[in-house]
Parts: sequence; C-alpha cells; structure tokens
Amino acid sequence: MSVNDVFLQLVTGLQLGAIYALIALGLTLIFGTLGVVNFAHGALYVIAIYAAVVIGGQIGFWAAVILVPLLLFVVGILMERGIIQYFYDRPHTDQILVTFGLALVIEEGAKAIFGANNIPYPIPDWGTGQMLFYGTGATIPGVPRFEEMPQVWMPFIEGMLFYPSWRIILIAVSFLAIGGLFALLQFTRFGLVVRAGMRDSEMLRFLGINITARFAIVFGLGALIAGIAGVFGGPITQVTPDVGMHLLVPSFLVVVIGGMGSLPGALLSAMLLGMALSFSAEYSAVQQIVIYLVAVVVLLVRPRGLMGKKGVLE
Amino acid sequence: MTQTDSNFLLDVQGVSKRFSGLQALNNVTLQIPEGSVHAIIGPNGAGKSTLLNVLIGLIEADEGTVRFDGRELRGMKPHDIIQRGIARVFQTPQIFPALSLLENVAIARLAKRDGKFAIKCVENLGPGNEVSDEAAEILTEVGLGDHVYESAQNLARGDKRRLELAVCLAAHPKLLLLDEPTAGMSRHDTNRTVELLQRISERGMTKIVIEHDMHVVFSLAEQMTVLAQGQVIASGAPADVKGDPKVIEAYLGGGPKE
Amino acid sequence: MSTEYRPHSWPREGIVLGVFAVVVFAMPWWLTWIGGYEALATKIVIWAIFALGFDILLGFTGYLSFGHAAFFGTSGYVAGLMFLHYSESIIPALLACLVVSIVLALVLGFLTLRRTGIYFAILTLAFAQMLHAAALSIFQEWTGGDNGLTMSAQPNLFGLPMDGLNVFYLAAVLVVIGFAMARQIRRSPLGLMLRSIKENQMRLEYTGVNVMAYKMTAYLISAIYAGTAGWLMVVYEPYVATKFLHWSTSGEVVIMSVIGGVNTLIGPMIGAAFMMYFENVVQSEIGELWKLVLGAIFVLIVIFLPGGFVDGYNRVRKVLGQKVPSRRHNVPDSPESMRKLRERGRTAEAGRTD
Repeated sequence: MSVNDVFLQLVTGLQLGAIYALIALGLTLIFGTLGVVNFAHGALYVIAIYAAVVIGGQIGFWAAVILVPLLLFVVGILMERGIIQYFYDRPHTDQILVTFGLALVIEEGAKAIFGANNIPYPIPDWGTGQMLFYGTGATIPGVPRFEEMPQVWMPFIEGMLFYPSWRIILIAVSFLAIGGLFALLQFTRFGLVVRAGMRDSEMLRFLGINITARFAIVFGLGALIAGIAGVFGGPITQVTPDVGMHLLVPSFLVVVIGGMGSLPGALLSAMLLGMALSFSAEYSAVQQIVIYLVAVVVLLVRPRGLMGKKGVLE
Repeated sequence: MTQTDSNFLLDVQGVSKRFSGLQALNNVTLQIPEGSVHAIIGPNGAGKSTLLNVLIGLIEADEGTVRFDGRELRGMKPHDIIQRGIARVFQTPQIFPALSLLENVAIARLAKRDGKFAIKCVENLGPGNEVSDEAAEILTEVGLGDHVYESAQNLARGDKRRLELAVCLAAHPKLLLLDEPTAGMSRHDTNRTVELLQRISERGMTKIVIEHDMHVVFSLAEQMTVLAQGQVIASGAPADVKGDPKVIEAYLGGGPKE
Repeated sequence: MSTEYRPHSWPREGIVLGVFAVVVFAMPWWLTWIGGYEALATKIVIWAIFALGFDILLGFTGYLSFGHAAFFGTSGYVAGLMFLHYSESIIPALLACLVVSIVLALVLGFLTLRRTGIYFAILTLAFAQMLHAAALSIFQEWTGGDNGLTMSAQPNLFGLPMDGLNVFYLAAVLVVIGFAMARQIRRSPLGLMLRSIKENQMRLEYTGVNVMAYKMTAYLISAIYAGTAGWLMVVYEPYVATKFLHWSTSGEVVIMSVIGGVNTLIGPMIGAAFMMYFENVVQSEIGELWKLVLGAIFVLIVIFLPGGFVDGYNRVRKVLGQKVPSRRHNVPDSPESMRKLRERGRTAEAGRTD
C-alpha cells in the first residue's frame, strides 16, 4: 500500500466514522442520562434527511442547515415528552419495544410519503466537485478545471489525489458538531448537570435538581445531532426510508464497543470502526462483517468496552 | 475433603478488601463453630455487609482466605458457594416480586433438591407435589401460611423480609447469614422474628447476624464480633464485649484513624 | 385481592389441547370465510411455532431478543442446502437444522446472555445482522447471495410429496406438539426457574441456582422452535430468501408476541395469525400502507395494552363481571388441599426437629 492509498483510506475511515460518531453520540447521551436505548434514533436520521431534501429543495440548502437540526430538536423533545417519559418506570424491554415501534412507524411513514427508492439530494453546487490534494512532484496543469478546484498541499503525498469535496465537508462539519457537543457538556452548567446525571442520576434527583426538564433537552440534543448528521450525511448514505435501520445497527455496536454511556468511548470506537471498514475495503467479502468481528474481539478482550465502566460480558 | 481439621464451620483468615481509597475490610479474622449464633455489630460503614458479601462471593477479597465446611471458597461462583450450604438474607429484601409466595419458596426448595441446574420438565408443580407442599409448610412456619397465593410484591415490607427468610430456610442451609433481619419491623414483628430465629437455632443451624438492635443481638447471639472501620476491635461473649472500652469508643466517636 | 386459581388436571389439559388442535386443523377452512386462503394457514402455523418458542424466552425469562432471525434464517439455508445437495427427504434436513440451531444458540448465547436485557437486545440484533451480512458476502457461494436458494424438486416425507395441505398438516401437528410441550414446561420446575429469571436474577443466583445455565436453556429452547419454523418455511415454499435472516424477520416475531400478549403462549400465536392475516389479506385492501397501520397498532398496544390481545380479552371479561383465572401456576389448587397443607405446616412447626 502506497502512502497515497493509506492517506485516502484514512480520510475515508474518518468520513465513515464521523457519521457513526454523530448517531452513536446521540444514542449514548440518551442512554447515559435517561437509561433509554433508543431504537428510533436511526429513524430520527431518516426524518432529518427527508426534511433536508424538502427544505433544501424548496427554500435552499442553508435553510436546511439551520432548520433541520432545529426541527429535529423539537421532534426529539416531543417524542420524549409525548411518549418516552411514560416509559421511565416501565421495564427496559418496554422502552426498547416502544422506540422500535416508533422507528417502524417513521420508516413506513417516510415510505408512504416519499416511496421506498432513493430520491436525489439537492447538493449545492459548491459541494459537488472534487478536492485536490497534491504533494512533491505534482505539476498541476494550468487548465481551468483544475484551477477552480479547492487544493490542499500535503508534503507526504506523491503526485496528486482527488477526493469528493462533500465528504471532506462532512468530516469537517461532524468534527465541529462533536467539538461543540463536548464543549457544551464540558463548559456549561447544563453540561455539568448532564455529566453528573450520566454518572448517578438518582443522586441528582436526591439533590433536588430538576433533571426531568433537562432530560427532555438531552433527548432533543441527541435528535439535533442526528439532524446535523442527516443534512450532511444524506447525500452519502442515500435518501431511503430504511437507511435509519442500516445506520442503527453499526451505531449500537459503536456504543457497545466504546462502553455504554461513554461519550469519548463512542467517538473513539466510531473512528475505530470507520477505519476498520475503510482499510478492509480491498477484501470486499470481509468488509461486510468486519465491524462485527471487531465488536466480538473487543467484547471478548475487554468486556466493558473501550472506555465503559460496566462490562457486557462480566 | 469435606471433613475439616478445625472445629469451625466458617473460618475467615486475614480478609482485606479495598475499594478505591477506602479500606472496607482490614485483616478480618472470624471463626464460627458449627451450631453457634454469632452477631456482628459495629457502626455504619464498619464493613459488616461487605464481610457478608465476601463470604457469598458477591465481592472478591483482595487478601485472606475463607474456608467453609473445610473448603476454601475463593474463586467459586456464588451459586456454588450457596449450594455448599450458605443462605443469605439481604438488607433490602430480595424476592421474586410477581411470583406467588409459594413459588418464591418452591424455587429455593428446588435449588436444594435438584442442585444448581437441572432440567426437570416432566414433573408438575402443584397439589400433591412434594416441593409445593414443603414450600407451604415453610411459609406456615414463618407465619405467612395464609398468603401463599399472594404475589410477593403485595406484601408489607416486614412480610417481605419474612418471605426472604422462608426462601433461605427452604434451602436448609448449614450457615444462615442475616443482614439486619428486623430492620424496619414493628416491635411486635421484631419479637416474632426473634422467636422464629430462636426456634430455628434449636435445630442447630449456624447463624451470623448483623444487627443494630441490641435487644435482638442479646436474645440471639452466643458470641459476637465488633467491627469498626473494617477491623475487628473486639470479640467474645456479648456480656464481655458490652463493657469493652474500645467498643464504647468506636460507637461514641473517635475510633481508629480514618 | 382475591384471585381464582385454576387447578392443573390432565382431563382439562386434554380439553385445552383438543380444542386448540381442532381450531388449528380446521384453519384452512375457517380462514377462507374471513378472506384468507389455504396456503395462508400454513404460513400462520409456521410463524406460530416461531412465536411460541420466542415466548419461552421473552415471556418466561424477560429477555428480549432482536436477533431470532439468526435461527430462523440459518435453518432455512441449512434446509435448502440439504434439499439441494443431500436429499429431498425432509427428515435429514430437520436434524441438520436442529443441530445447527443448537450450536449457533450456544455461541450467540455465550456472547449475548451475560448481562442485562438492554445489552442482550442490542447484541442479538447486531449478531443476527452479522449473519445476514455474511450470507450476502463471505457465504455467497452457498447462499446464492441476493438471489437466495431455489429448490429444484419438491421435498418429501418418506416419498410423500410435501406440498399444499400436506405441509399444512405437518406444521399443524408440530404446532400442537410444540404447544403441549410449552405448557408442560410452564408448569414444571424448569418453567418456574425460567420465570424467576425475569423477577430477580440476583436472588436466584444467591439461592444457589446457576442463572446463566437456565438463561441458556431458555435461549436454546426458543432457538429450537425458531429453527424448526425456518425448516418448515423452506419445506412450504421451496425457496430461501435472504429476508429470512434480516432484522425485519426478528422484528416481526417481536411484534407478533407483543400484540398477542407475551407470557401467555397462546397470545404470540394469535399475534402470528393476526400479523399474517394483515400482511396477506389486509394488504390487498390498503396496499403497502398495511405496514404503517401495523406499526401504529404495535405502538398503541405497547403504550396502552402491554399485555396484548390476551390482556385485552381478560379486561373485557372483567368488565363483563366474569372471573378471570390467575395466570400464575405451580400452586396448589383447592381450599381443601390448602387447609391440609396448613395443618401439616402447623404440626411441622410444633414438632420439627430436622
């Protein structure tokens, strides 16, 4: 494998990991604070991509960038206040069942409205092209096609490399969102309460802190991140009703591998799985199951996940 | 292997357990002869429950040995330890909430009769079945004979404790561990429970009781051990321990350094 | 709270199973009165077997598996491969399916059963999806990938061709046997152990019971039912689809169990019938919307009627003033036998030396 190949696969791994990270962070945030495993989290992503297609097509892409995450935030809060909150006192299996049911309803609803097939996603013009990476020994021909391209000089690259601009944008936006989330949790009073809640929610209730209202916001926040993932991930994951469930299974694995309820763990394992997928691409038969193999190995070697406190196989 | 060279049913030697920064148990030694009733007392946080947890394999000790009936328990799975003849009443009653009282006790009878795992699916539990009958007998013995069909979750807290005791008795253990068996009970219920425990003692069942109620301790125990901050600070007959200045100090403040 | 207890008696057990058998065997006829067709009866009965086994896991132990398609689908492929490459007789295929289901359940159970229900649901879903992905990639040569496996000849039982109503009768016999076995397990010591897992695993472990072994037993039993259903499905339509392994198949059996009523044995089978009826008959009325309607029904039942149809039926009976027998088992029946027990207890209390 040449340096260029490694570089390309690293970028691809980052991009795959970024989407998993966005979904998994929402999942683990909701699980860590509310103790709810949200089987409808992939369905929130489905709402986001269809909302992005509609708003992006009707008003414009930037409107979608702003409105879709806000819409998802509201959807998340409605979901928590309208249904999930009545399930905190019911067995975990009931929580799983009701979120699974919601996932079905949302998926089938999307199918009824938009059909089962992929519909085109209106990517803005500036996002459709390729990005050029060049390094030593590269001579860029002075033709307009190349000059208009965004260019990055990387000293270790031999010659030139092209990579779809949209995927680079997705990586950048994902890391901005992830950074924003961590900053919110690290530096605000709200974040302090949420982090304390992830450690011991009973203690917080005991101290008289109103976590119920904050929990609704946490659910909304998880949905909002799925909204960001939907706006920027839609063109890459396709716009179909069943994409939610396709994303949910690997995202669950990300959460379990990272350690249930651990945000840094989720980020780390999302990147690990992204890289595993990217670097196994040459062996296409193995690539299909590589994330499961990674999951089995991690859980056998380290039952609590990479950064979790309680184990899965203990 | 089963015959022990010492006379003690339970022989705890130098057990220590550290939880991040807290020395929960420090070199605890405890020897319980067969047939005796032993009380463990001590202020809150002294490590009493931790000690019981080590005995039944809920927590693994950092150091020390626990020998029960001549056999080292370290590394054994909890259910294997219990199968060797230990039963435990927990501080918060642990029962099977949605099952009937009879079923609660029947489970323990089955565990005693069939061992830790057996696929018995031809037998019908119910009228005339030995397990169901024995379970009803035991429930009657602890004073719950009128409620055998009730769901366990409908019981009052004191009755839940009694049910858990019935579950433990159903296994006919050699050693019964009682973690505050009368906590939260009315005076009347406490007296009934003490009476019941005394009656069981007459059969020669060895017991370890953690208890705050000194009335209960003095009615039941022949020997006692005082724990404070994870250490044994006194042991002997209740009357002797009562006057020990170290014990008074432990309860009234001070005590060994943190 | 006073509840009426229904004693266990063999004559009564015979009547229950007899009525059940009559309803099942007459299904091809009564189904046509309500818009169904003969072959739908076969599908219903096969799914009923799947759902019945699933209830031994979900209903008894409370462990919610989202990956039971693993057993249904793998058995389907094993049956298909046996028919294609070994023999068109259904017996060797059944034996192979059972062996594979048991081995697979041991492996998956080891990986998924150690901790609480949440991890179990997630991990069973993930590992079943792994098998689905593997069937489409590394095992493509054997599974036929997206095309699935198509049988060239009709499977047979000792020369009797397995088509049409023959498959139905085979499935009907098996569902009656399966139902009788499940009822027997429920009232046996094994059933009590399995039902106590849902209640308090810690108490169970500290009563000297190997909880993991019992969980594994429930998982194995449900895998055997699922494997049998997968095998029957391939006998019924000599074709193996990748959908058999897909998460939506696992989801369907979950939906059936919940809308019918978990921990009732009969409920999940009613759920299976309801769902198949919906999928095949209602679909012809409202088209693809049936899935949306079914999803909505499922959500409403989870929220408002957690006990499913059976619970709904009991609530209606209560409203009408009828006595509803308790769902508890393993208890002595009559006041008379209770009085005797209490007397025996008292004498024991008085003169016990042990």
